[in-house]
Amino acid sequence: MTLTAKAAAPVGVLLIALFAVAIGSSFMPLDRVIAALLGAGSRADGVILWNIRLPRVLLAALSGAALAVAGLLLQRATRNPLAAPSVLGIVDGAAVGVLVFFLIFSNEANALVVSVHWQPLAAIGGALVFATTVGVLAWQDAVSPLRLLLYGVAMAAFANAIVTLMLIAGPAFRACLALIWLAGSVHTADWREVGLLSLAWCLALPVLAVLIRPLDQLRLDDQSAQSTGLNVARTRAAALLVSVLMTAAAVSVVGGIGFVGLIAPHAARLLYGSGAGPQMAGAACLGAGMVMASDLLVRAAFQPLEVPAGAVTALIGAPYFLTLLIREGHAHV
Amino acid sequence: MRVAWLGGICACLALAGLGLHLGVRVYAPGQVWAALTQDGRDTASIIIRDLRVPRMALAIVVGAALGLAGLLMQSVTRNPIAEPGLLGVNAGAAFAVVVLITLAPGASFVTLALVAAFGALTAAVLVFGLAYAAGGRVSPVQVLLAGVTVAALLVAGLQVLIILNEAVLEELLFWLSGSFADRPVTGLWLAIGALTLGVALALAFSGALDVLQTDAATATSLGVPVLRLRFGMLAVAALLAGVSVALAGPVAFLGLVAPHLARLCGAVRHRDLIPLSLIFGVALGLAADLVARFILFPTEAPISAVMALLGVPLLVTLLRRNRLLLA
Repeated sequence: MTLTAKAAAPVGVLLIALFAVAIGSSFMPLDRVIAALLGAGSRADGVILWNIRLPRVLLAALSGAALAVAGLLLQRATRNPLAAPSVLGIVDGAAVGVLVFFLIFSNEANALVVSVHWQPLAAIGGALVFATTVGVLAWQDAVSPLRLLLYGVAMAAFANAIVTLMLIAGPAFRACLALIWLAGSVHTADWREVGLLSLAWCLALPVLAVLIRPLDQLRLDDQSAQSTGLNVARTRAAALLVSVLMTAAAVSVVGGIGFVGLIAPHAARLLYGSGAGPQMAGAACLGAGMVMASDLLVRAAFQPLEVPAGAVTALIGAPYFLTLLIREGHAHV
Repeated sequence: MRVAWLGGICACLALAGLGLHLGVRVYAPGQVWAALTQDGRDTASIIIRDLRVPRMALAIVVGAALGLAGLLMQSVTRNPIAEPGLLGVNAGAAFAVVVLITLAPGASFVTLALVAAFGALTAAVLVFGLAYAAGGRVSPVQVLLAGVTVAALLVAGLQVLIILNEAVLEELLFWLSGSFADRPVTGLWLAIGALTLGVALALAFSGALDVLQTDAATATSLGVPVLRLRFGMLAVAALLAGVSVALAGPVAFLGLVAPHLARLCGAVRHRDLIPLSLIFGVALGLAADLVARFILFPTEAPISAVMALLGVPLLVTLLRRNRLLLA
């Protein structure tokens, strides 16, 4: 791939970010955006930019990047380029975690008795429980792609059923909130959520930096990887754990945004080759761009309705994945 | 195998009987018998005759239809995990129905069912076509991936349609949540017709379906029109799935588990597999209907969620007992 194509992706993502800040229910030309960013613009511009647009764009970028890197780790760890967090029960598991949290920590008036800031931890807990169940079920002999996939789909459906039942059993306002969250959208973004995902990224970055070299070694088969001095089992477990945690962190704030973790790593491999470092950076960049662009699209196309960004990533991502399946499915599966 | 037949039929009868007695109100056998045999006008008679008997009939028909649809899809594609719910066929039917409700609200049930069947068939052809294009020799992994992806695509389309058209939101959500209760009884006769046709066709071609389990070349040399049989039986499966979706909403896992229970009982030939899948499908449908009444008592739970709760543990047990299934 030529240098222009490699450079085009980050530049394109930056442009999308600029557009995402400028476009909304009231259009803000670029000069006013810059003025407001520097604190020099009108008061209204400042409020729109700092309170609404900026957290929304940052949240889309951070969650998209997290989902993309999580997908990459999962694909590397299972050596299956078609594995994705959303089909392995992680997303629905996180939803179960959050609803159980609401159920346990509510009083008779359905008001939370603990701070809602603990909700992401509940999501991570639920995701871990369901991901571990899928892993344990699939861990017969070796992790076969079909077993992993089938158990993942089954557990996702199981979690989804629990979510449906809990929504019906719970109070109506909670069902509304949960449905909006589950559909996967960033339009309720605030700085607290941005801060949470930034924190998750700060924690993940050192681990990712350490994991890059082992991930490259993991591309060899188990025996060769072992002979290069790699502890295969430990690397794989670490990659899976980080993948689940990053997915859960993203899902806990933006809900079920699918197909980013599936597609961004693949597109990054096409652009930046299969070295773990460049591919990971590329995937993060493309994932961020994908979610920002989807959010921008629903804002521009469906005003004033809020169509969830997750619907757009699915509508774009699913056909891309199907062509991927046709082109190289038989080579890998 | 005779034990399986007897056990299955006994389970069906027991579950059907329980379904008539149990609910928000519990009735004694005497009351149920009186309600069924006499033309009483008291509350018990009305509840049993006008509410519980229709939903029992619906559970039986939908369970049988999905069990047979699952078996046919598995046999035609020689794929142990083929099933209307997992492979996006139900999602295709649901999508078609939602488009119809959006474009022409108040369409009759017959139109609804036919459109659902058409959507189901389109999705089935799409999924298997994509998987075929992916692998030449279709492997279960590709079919499952293609099915899950097509389903995700259709669900995303559904979300957008529902948000854009809030006027029909309530009708759609009621229908998409799936239930055996409060469904139009007129649809039942159409479903019974479709089921009879499906069973007759499946039984008529049961020998050919047996031969199809060898491989395409052998089947061709034995005089079976492989391609036509595959497409025809897939169409029957899609019709059954579509009618079920139109009646009771999208229900997954029933079509996957029922045929595997039949195989677990030792059935190999389709002459045995077809009736046993029907029986186990009916038993699962009745059981799900019963559980749906009590799991959120006194609220009624959606049948799709209940079926997933019952079906997933069954599926996991089946998979762990029979490793060859996915070899």
